[in-house]
Amino acid sequence: MDNVCEEQVFSSVFKTNSKTVFNFIYYKFGNEEKAHDAVQEAFVKLWENCAKVSPEKAKSYLYTVANNLYLNVIKAEKVRMKYADLHSNSISNESPEFVLEEKQFQQKLDDALNALPENQRTTFLLNRIDGKKYAEIADMEGVSVKAIEKRMHLALKTLREQIDGI
Amino acid sequence: MQENYLAKWLNNELSEEELATFKKSAEYASYQRILEASNKMEAPEFDVDLAWDTFKGNQMGNEPKVVPLRPFKQFLRVAAVVAVMIAGSYFYLSTLNETFTTDLAERSEVTLPDSSEIILNADSEVSFSEKNWGKNREVRLEGEAFFKVAKGKKFAVLTENGTVTVLGTQFNVENRNGFFEVTCYEGLVSVSYNNSEQKLPAGSSFVAINGEIVGSQGITATQPSWITNESSFKSIPLKYVLAEFERQYNKVVKTENIDVEQLFTGTFSNTDINLALESISTPSQIRYKLGDDNVLFYAENTP
Repeated sequence: MDNVCEEQVFSSVFKTNSKTVFNFIYYKFGNEEKAHDAVQEAFVKLWENCAKVSPEKAKSYLYTVANNLYLNVIKAEKVRMKYADLHSNSISNESPEFVLEEKQFQQKLDDALNALPENQRTTFLLNRIDGKKYAEIADMEGVSVKAIEKRMHLALKTLREQIDGI
Repeated sequence: MQENYLAKWLNNELSEEELATFKKSAEYASYQRILEASNKMEAPEFDVDLAWDTFKGNQMGNEPKVVPLRPFKQFLRVAAVVAVMIAGSYFYLSTLNETFTTDLAERSEVTLPDSSEIILNADSEVSFSEKNWGKNREVRLEGEAFFKVAKGKKFAVLTENGTVTVLGTQFNVENRNGFFEVTCYEGLVSVSYNNSEQKLPAGSSFVAINGEIVGSQGITATQPSWITNESSFKSIPLKYVLAEFERQYNKVVKTENIDVEQLFTGTFSNTDINLALESISTPSQIRYKLGDDNVLFYAENTP
């Protein structure tokens, strides 16, 4: 099979990539609704052009389309991250002060993330949350691995400076 | 410290020395904390199956909506072709000429749209465009016909030998293989033959045989003799006389030892075959033998 027109192939491409496409757009613009739309629109485009896209190329095709959809169109909104409450199972171990402090730190991290340039935030979150390797992110964004490393480095540096209040 | 060491640190790509140095730095604790906190972060919920269902509902479901449009397009295509054909055939049929034909031993009268009359002699054909008659009074003629033209615009008789144009008159045109004769009985007709034009006043005729103008002759009749069931000839080669006989009686004429180029002057009846045979044979001093569907003319001295 040289393209993704086969429904089975297409379905597997959808199931493997749709969540990352969603996150990718959400990290960039902080708008869930737009991220859902982006998933639909990117896959519609892929379906329409399925004969021209090989399964290997499908992934980068999707990110290119999704990214282009909202390029310069929507203004980034606040990215609201959820935090898994890892402590809920061990309530007794943590003092209320510790829990409060933890909450405050998360709030600071959120604010610092929102202040980041869109490309640094996307790189940071794709790596931290989705566990994407730098090479994969480079592929999604269409830039070099080195550029992604730079973004990651700057993202961490800026986050720390913001949180430490320098 | 190497370039982008923070990114390398996350990827465990720092050398041991670098890592040791980094761990001793004041910022290390903060970075470590950011990392821990970020490990607890989650993206908004995304239901892959729901998104897939939405996609299928929108996309795959769209296809049946698109498909029915195609037969309609197909229909439009066919309809367009049919419309063009109908329009084309309408224009074609409307310009199609009205045609009247007479067979051997037959005569017919045709009334034109302007009440001009044409009387067709045997084995002849006229055609004209009824639709364009108001604009263009043109008649194509093969064979022989007598015209009584109503007054009006130019009236033209087109033949392969020559063209006759008039304004309103009575005239006879005969156009047979190599033989072209125009006789004017009333008014004035103009005959153009081989690029030369000749005015033919009432009571005169124009004869051309095999491309040669034989000359104009005066006539006294008021209509061609064939109208009154007679065929008249004045110094016409015998072969044309015999051809006329064939047409009037639908008999095949054969000749034996006869000079068909000799000139014939006379008249034969178009109704009485025996009288006609006598009328032809006696002045030419030839004999004849009448069969069922043929006539043999032969020289008198032939046994």
